[in-house]
Amino acid sequence: MRHLKKTLSMLLALMMCLALIPAASAEDDLSQEANLVFYVMGDAPQDETAVEDAINAILKEKFNATIDFQFSTWTDFTLKYNTQLTSGGADLIYIANWLDYGLLARAGAFLELDDLLNKYAPELRALAGEDMLNMCRVEGELYAVPALWPEYVPLGIKYREDLRAKYDLPYPDSLENMEAYFAGVKANEPDQAILRCTTSESASSLSVAFDAANVLNFKYAWTNANGFPYGLTSDYATPDQVYDYWFTDAFTEDMKLLKKWADMGFWSKSALSDTNDSEAYDNGLCIAEVAGMNPNKQISSATNFAKDHPEWESAYITYGEVTGVLFPGHATQNGTAIVRGSKYPERCAMILNYLMTDREMNELVQYGIKGVHYDVVDGIYENLSENFKYENFNTWNLRVNEYKLPQKSDVALQAMFDKYNEIAQKTRFPNVNIYGGFTEDYSEYEFERTAVSNVMRQYLAPIQAGLVDDVDAAVAEFREKVTAAGLQKCRDGFTEQWKAYCEEYGYQ
Amino acid sequence: MNPSMTAAGRAAARAGRSGDRRKLAAMGLCALVILICFVPAFPWIRAVNTEALYGTMGLKASVAKKLSPDHSVLTFLSFVETSKQGILGFWSFLLLIVSAAAIILILAAGVTYAIRNRIAEGKGMLRACSFFQKGMIFSLAAAAGTAGLTIFANSHYGMTGFAAGWPVYAAGAAGACGYLVSKRIEKQEMILCREHGFIEEFRRNWVLFLFLVPCFVFFLINNYLPMTGIYFAFTQFNFRDHLFASPFVGFKNFEFLVRSEILHLTQNTILYNIVFIVIGNILQIFFAILISHVANKRMRKISQTMIFMPYFVSYVILRVLVFNMFEYEVGLVNNFITSMGMERIDFYNTPEYWPWLITAFFLWKNIGYGMVVYLATITGISTEYYEAAQIDGANIYQQIRYITVPLLKPTFIILLLYALGGIMKGQFELFYQLVGNNGTLFNATDIFDTYVYRITTTQPLSMGMGTAAGLFQSLFGFLVIMITNLCIKRRNPEYALF
Amino acid sequence: MKIRDRSAVPFHVIKAILLAILSVLCVLPFIMIISGSLTDNYTILKEGFSLFPRNITAEAYRTIFRSPDGILQAYKMNFYYTFMGTALGLLVITLTAYVISRKDFKYRNKVSFLIYFTTIFGGGMIPWYMMYTNVLGLRGTTLAIWFPALMSSFLVILMRTFITGSVPDAVVESAKIDGAGHWIIFWRIVLPVLGPGLATVGLFQALGYWNDWYRSSMFSTSSETWSLQFYLYDMVNSTLAMRQMAQNVSLNTADLPTQTVKLAMAVVATGPVLLFYPFVQRYFVSGITIGAVKG
Repeated sequence: MRHLKKTLSMLLALMMCLALIPAASAEDDLSQEANLVFYVMGDAPQDETAVEDAINAILKEKFNATIDFQFSTWTDFTLKYNTQLTSGGADLIYIANWLDYGLLARAGAFLELDDLLNKYAPELRALAGEDMLNMCRVEGELYAVPALWPEYVPLGIKYREDLRAKYDLPYPDSLENMEAYFAGVKANEPDQAILRCTTSESASSLSVAFDAANVLNFKYAWTNANGFPYGLTSDYATPDQVYDYWFTDAFTEDMKLLKKWADMGFWSKSALSDTNDSEAYDNGLCIAEVAGMNPNKQISSATNFAKDHPEWESAYITYGEVTGVLFPGHATQNGTAIVRGSKYPERCAMILNYLMTDREMNELVQYGIKGVHYDVVDGIYENLSENFKYENFNTWNLRVNEYKLPQKSDVALQAMFDKYNEIAQKTRFPNVNIYGGFTEDYSEYEFERTAVSNVMRQYLAPIQAGLVDDVDAAVAEFREKVTAAGLQKCRDGFTEQWKAYCEEYGYQ
Repeated sequence: MNPSMTAAGRAAARAGRSGDRRKLAAMGLCALVILICFVPAFPWIRAVNTEALYGTMGLKASVAKKLSPDHSVLTFLSFVETSKQGILGFWSFLLLIVSAAAIILILAAGVTYAIRNRIAEGKGMLRACSFFQKGMIFSLAAAAGTAGLTIFANSHYGMTGFAAGWPVYAAGAAGACGYLVSKRIEKQEMILCREHGFIEEFRRNWVLFLFLVPCFVFFLINNYLPMTGIYFAFTQFNFRDHLFASPFVGFKNFEFLVRSEILHLTQNTILYNIVFIVIGNILQIFFAILISHVANKRMRKISQTMIFMPYFVSYVILRVLVFNMFEYEVGLVNNFITSMGMERIDFYNTPEYWPWLITAFFLWKNIGYGMVVYLATITGISTEYYEAAQIDGANIYQQIRYITVPLLKPTFIILLLYALGGIMKGQFELFYQLVGNNGTLFNATDIFDTYVYRITTTQPLSMGMGTAAGLFQSLFGFLVIMITNLCIKRRNPEYALF
Repeated sequence: MKIRDRSAVPFHVIKAILLAILSVLCVLPFIMIISGSLTDNYTILKEGFSLFPRNITAEAYRTIFRSPDGILQAYKMNFYYTFMGTALGLLVITLTAYVISRKDFKYRNKVSFLIYFTTIFGGGMIPWYMMYTNVLGLRGTTLAIWFPALMSSFLVILMRTFITGSVPDAVVESAKIDGAGHWIIFWRIVLPVLGPGLATVGLFQALGYWNDWYRSSMFSTSSETWSLQFYLYDMVNSTLAMRQMAQNVSLNTADLPTQTVKLAMAVVATGPVLLFYPFVQRYFVSGITIGAVKG
């Protein structure tokens, strides 16, 4: 009783404190010093303080403000990112579609930027261009400024080119050829594991349940790799015409193919529980990776091979090369937003503007202090110190095409990008990432969505991993269970939103 | 000298009992008044100047038409929900809880009064009185809280939009009167029952209160203040309104609990927990007794250390170990089996093995850790007991059965009770790491915590759902523990938790 | 005088066998971890674990100790947190347990209930986090890392059981008649016989602090305040994340042997505990030697 009274009064105090958090700030005047917090992902560099001091020396002079970079580390980073937004405290923050940018923006985590950019960052706005900015709009409002370095991150298959050449096998650029390649290597080297697929890439996906199913992308020219959620899909050429996939005969055929491959021993029977070992490929414990790949990872592996196993060679074929559907990474792959509740939104906009439009400042943030941490040799970046490496603040969102210094490995990467650009130009919507700009609002069918996801984990995963005896029966059971879980409601909700989105942007 | 100590004092008190009738009648009247005030038919809070108010709130005409201006404590929350004024939600929620507490306490007082003669030691009246008093205070708090709410709401909307109805004043007045009257009766009863109040207790044992200060401070900061977060289970969080002003949605976040295969999850969670608790404790006691009988001191210490070691193996590493052991192709177990000529077993796709495997690994990890408590208790048993038993000719089995085990009983019961409170919460790390995302095993191994974790990671704004699930687990455990503690208290009060 | 109890012989035999089996089962995986940490990373990936190290290499340990400043700081902080948390925690827990064990304290049941209540109900992680960062402003401090685990209701109730078990009422009563106040009773009568209780609760408390990484993860803003477990855990997570991130990463990830590093981590983190463990052990592993065949 006494405790209740004490608690009540403390609650009042607590409530009043918390109520102050979203309080709006008065018009910003530069005479007040602002200490901003820029929240980014990953780990801090060794020389964090040194570089921060250099940055703040300039910022203090120009804007009477300082920046403190705070890092999420890689442990529980999604949880910490969400907690940081909920509890407040950051001013500028890194955003990305893999950090649920769309959902968070819709829920109001970030400030609307249209006015702020017009008043305090017009140069940045001009540099970014309306097309890029429009890709970051959610429900019509602009919430983030994207990174200004175009890159291609299409899915594909990363494989051992040296083995292919050694046994004179076909390039794995179609399902038949892939099968021949895998079978050929297996026949010649029975002890070599072919794939180390797991469920790690598909764990929260609503289109596939097992990574190996990614190979089907060679067959279909869909708007999005692996189709849409809930077993729907549409073709890139006619994006707004949605049709079903899970209940077609083609689906059963595909599942039979996956079973055939599982029986041929292309992956382990315990694949569903395997701890995904991303070292496997680099250590020769598998000869290809088919899910979650992109050109960057290919370059990474190629570099590792050159160092440790020079006789090995890694090559990359994107699914898009074969199907003709390619598009660049969406603008929300990396971006910056201003957190709602920040005390100095105007100052944030000004500083963001400066960070991305001033060459010296941009290079300082991205690479460190010239001469101490890095140097430029023949136009290529060369690292001088372990204490601050390339983009060591993890500010991939501050990349600007003009100012980005190429690394040695970038040469190969750029070649790949040029090749993709050519293909992407020939698609119906040249260089447009249609699906990337769509945010689904599933609050109306949240429960059905979760139920469908559970059914996929339980019934679809074993089918796609080829671990069932009778594919037809298993597929029938899966179809029955997933319908019972409320699939139709999800499909209706999704289709309605998707058609509206296509109509708004003219993807018809 | 304390009046309860002298016979004269007690006689005076007993005499005073005859004048009680009027006081009791007054108390009864107060209780009745308060109960009436809470009846939903009467306007506890009224919305005045409804047109202007609804306009400020930004309500559409269609919605405004459905709202009535008079609300009882219960319906006020639904008003908050319909009008989407989340900022009033927290206050109203607290108000509801306080009012409910007041009603329950008054009813409890009534019931206790009715059966007062059956309560031991003649304390029936005292108990009834104490319930009554608490009920009065809560009513007063409810009235005061409502007044505060109207002030807050009016200042937030910048106009006189809400006013407390007459029941608020009536309840407040009745609460105050009832409290004062009951104070007199209480004083009298205390003398008769030889009990004393707070001030007396403080005078006697102020050192103890001092000892408790760090405890209060800690639990207040670390547990009780954050407990206000339970309110979030009833809101739909969004960043614009922030935590305490997000729209109130009632039980919507709990719906998913009902939709999902809740019975199956509950069954899994409870069964696993029971098996873990019972078998775990039995094995811990068993091995603790065994170790305590090892003659050689060094061997004793070494074996105890060895059994303790699994505690240091984190679940992350355990997962890798288990996978290495049970994997289909090259796992240790399968290698062993094939070398004996039998067929490989596909562990990771057969759910039936896993309840056994998970239990085995839980026991392996926790026997050493739990054993420590029992070992410490055994250490405290005086050796005189055993010497005496030996002289009487008892063999070793009898010694264990009649000395060691009974003396371990209190510890066992306390640990058991404690574990029961968490019966709906599971060993999340254990299940999550060993099973991972392998859907085929879910039927046999999915527990509440892993299910909720999967939901909250696929839907990032689901703080409401996560808190709702946690609240469900808490309520369940609370019920179980209250009932169990009550039963044990009947049999042997020494063993009860509280 | 040796007392031989014939019926006890089968008991002792079975006891020895069972204990031996359990001990071996418990240590085996640990041995696998140690030998794995000394094995070359590639062998582990290809052939899995085994009891004996193959292709012995100290590469994993070298990686962990690569920047010795980092790990030494983490060790230092770990000792600091464990010391502060255990010393203060033990004091506060024992004081509280003493109070609620006093039968003549009117509110002992209510206080026990309030303490136990915190295990059942909670507001979740976010309010707890906000309490320490927003309301108290302790983000980034060491206080935020060791304060939240200072007391746990389980340990308080456990300690209470020890106190009621080891301190006879008669002694306390006679002391009170002699005029001793609670302070004296606590220090002179209760504490001296509380050996096993203090050791047990102290051990649990210390282990809880030593192994914790979660609070470092949530509250630290600089690697200076990281606990040892978090330092090691994060090292592995960084490598994993870098590999899986779709970004241009210049860190040469082939250098970090993750599997063996994880195992070496476990060994490095546990080492000091195993050293200090025997000291505490003697308080709760005394034996019942009457009736057994001595020698």
